Amino acid sequence: MAAPTDRRSRARQAHIWLALFLVAVSVISLATGPTGTSLWGAVAKLLAGEPLTAMERVVLWDIRMPRLILGIIVGTALAVSGAVMQGLFRNPLADPGLVGVSAGAGLGAILAIVLGALLPVWAQDVAGNALVPIAAFMGGWLSTIILYRVSTRQGRTSVATMLLAGIAIGALTGAVSGILVYMADDRQLRDLTFWGLGSLAGATWSKVLVAGPLIGLAVIASLLLGRGLNALALGEATAAHLGIPVQRLKSASILIVAAATGAAVAVSGGIGFIGIVVPHLLRLATGPDHETLLLNAALLGATLLLGADIISRLIIAPAELPIGIVTAVLGAPVFLWILLRRRGLVDL
Amino acid sequence: MITARDIQVRIGQKTILQGVNFTAKPGQVTAIVGPNGSGKTTLLRALTDEVPWTGQVQINGQDTSVYKPWELAAIRGVLPQAATLAFPFTVVEVVRMGLMSGIHGNKDIIAQQALQIVGLEGYSERFFQELSGGEQQRAHLARVLCQVWEPVQNGSPRWLLLDEPVASLDIGHQLLIMNCLSDFARRGGGVVAVMHDLNLTAMVADAVAIIAEGRAIARGPVADVFNDQTLSMAYKCDLRTNTIPARTKSFILPQVASLSNLAV
Repeated sequence: MAAPTDRRSRARQAHIWLALFLVAVSVISLATGPTGTSLWGAVAKLLAGEPLTAMERVVLWDIRMPRLILGIIVGTALAVSGAVMQGLFRNPLADPGLVGVSAGAGLGAILAIVLGALLPVWAQDVAGNALVPIAAFMGGWLSTIILYRVSTRQGRTSVATMLLAGIAIGALTGAVSGILVYMADDRQLRDLTFWGLGSLAGATWSKVLVAGPLIGLAVIASLLLGRGLNALALGEATAAHLGIPVQRLKSASILIVAAATGAAVAVSGGIGFIGIVVPHLLRLATGPDHETLLLNAALLGATLLLGADIISRLIIAPAELPIGIVTAVLGAPVFLWILLRRRGLVDL
Repeated sequence: MITARDIQVRIGQKTILQGVNFTAKPGQVTAIVGPNGSGKTTLLRALTDEVPWTGQVQINGQDTSVYKPWELAAIRGVLPQAATLAFPFTVVEVVRMGLMSGIHGNKDIIAQQALQIVGLEGYSERFFQELSGGEQQRAHLARVLCQVWEPVQNGSPRWLLLDEPVASLDIGHQLLIMNCLSDFARRGGGVVAVMHDLNLTAMVADAVAIIAEGRAIARGPVADVFNDQTLSMAYKCDLRTNTIPARTKSFILPQVASLSNLAV
């Protein structure tokens, strides 16, 4: 294994490499699509001062660009909330998708979609697009708090209890969601099905504007938690002795996970495995130091999700595979492989 | 100075500590001793706010509740009996965690020096979770030493509060660590250590508090407190204190009732 000074400098160098990688994948994402509209052609036109065709403007600016931005913010949100949650629970298996936080956020979103229609028309106008992400945030927040309360006693988290509580929360939210789906009308059902598949296909600028600020704030706030989460690896009491305001750290972590997961789930549905695979790969490559891990997770999460999105658009083109299927097919074997390889070291 | 007055700890219906007074002076190693389950660890955990307690605890003349978490961390380092660690951090990464609260000087050098003091030079790049229990204990001690690296800061003493710091160590490392604690005290810092080994305590500690059945039954300089009657009463067995004529430090021997039967 690498020397720690190596690990530290490698983790810092990784900021630059991952950022460059993200830029490259972003360009590929903008250039890829079923219509044959050429990014390079459009760029050449712009450089030559010629106007774009209406088709080019719509495809590049109204379809691919919001999809790119949404992919970046959702990938960032999923990876960062995974890393923060693993730090908070002091366990590499904690992931919003595995332990019911995404399910809670999903229930919030479904509630908003189905019950939002019961609101008076003026309230629907006011709430508009914001209602679904806010409800998803509340759902994620509640499930994270319940999960933490149930599985953590005197500063120690029981992984078995955490996973079982996650299953219970998932089952409960699944049941309530089922009732709501049963109640939904045809238009709502279409919304729910589309949303549940997990996709970036419905990306619009309004979704970017709704989810962007919430996720942006959560990710920036998470970058301040690095030291605290490192100290928390020693247990709550020791973290407190190291001068960390532990209660505040825990509340902040829970809010960040809920905001990022809630907003991501609200705009893109259930996309799994980014939150667990990204921090795992980074810990293997550059060590568990949260001061570098969180930023690297944000960058790699965005890159991987964009990559998965490109695959989902190409593999059965001109149709699209839901991205949740792509991340699961790619992510699950990687995750199993990591578990096998590090069987002796993963602290379950 | 650390002063605790009328400390009471109740867990559920059970009273663990009652009316305990305790003081520790800077420049001294103060040991807390007592039989298993007497409440000595609980006293340390009350001093460090790890269990709910009533009474008053002051450190350097101020109530501990007045300090912010990071202010307390800057004047006292706490070593629990068993510290856990999640994620595969290396030894030096763990030790550097002690350097978080406003340390001046080159952090890498301080971390390496701390590792050297606890006899772990050359271990910095090893994974913490791969170390033996005793090595992990010493690595945590190095982390705590880093946290209060200068025993005196701005004229105020800094403190080490340690729960059985040598419990899982071999005799050589026990002496190494106890010497390092004495050295910290000689340079003006204060050390409070829950101790198991009475002879090691007699050798190194300046002052001692004996806790038995939730009460402090004796406090003061080791020479005053360690006597046959008090120790035998505290540990509920027959103990004899002795002194090597050429030295002033005492040592304690158990009196085995059936020993005479074994003699041929």
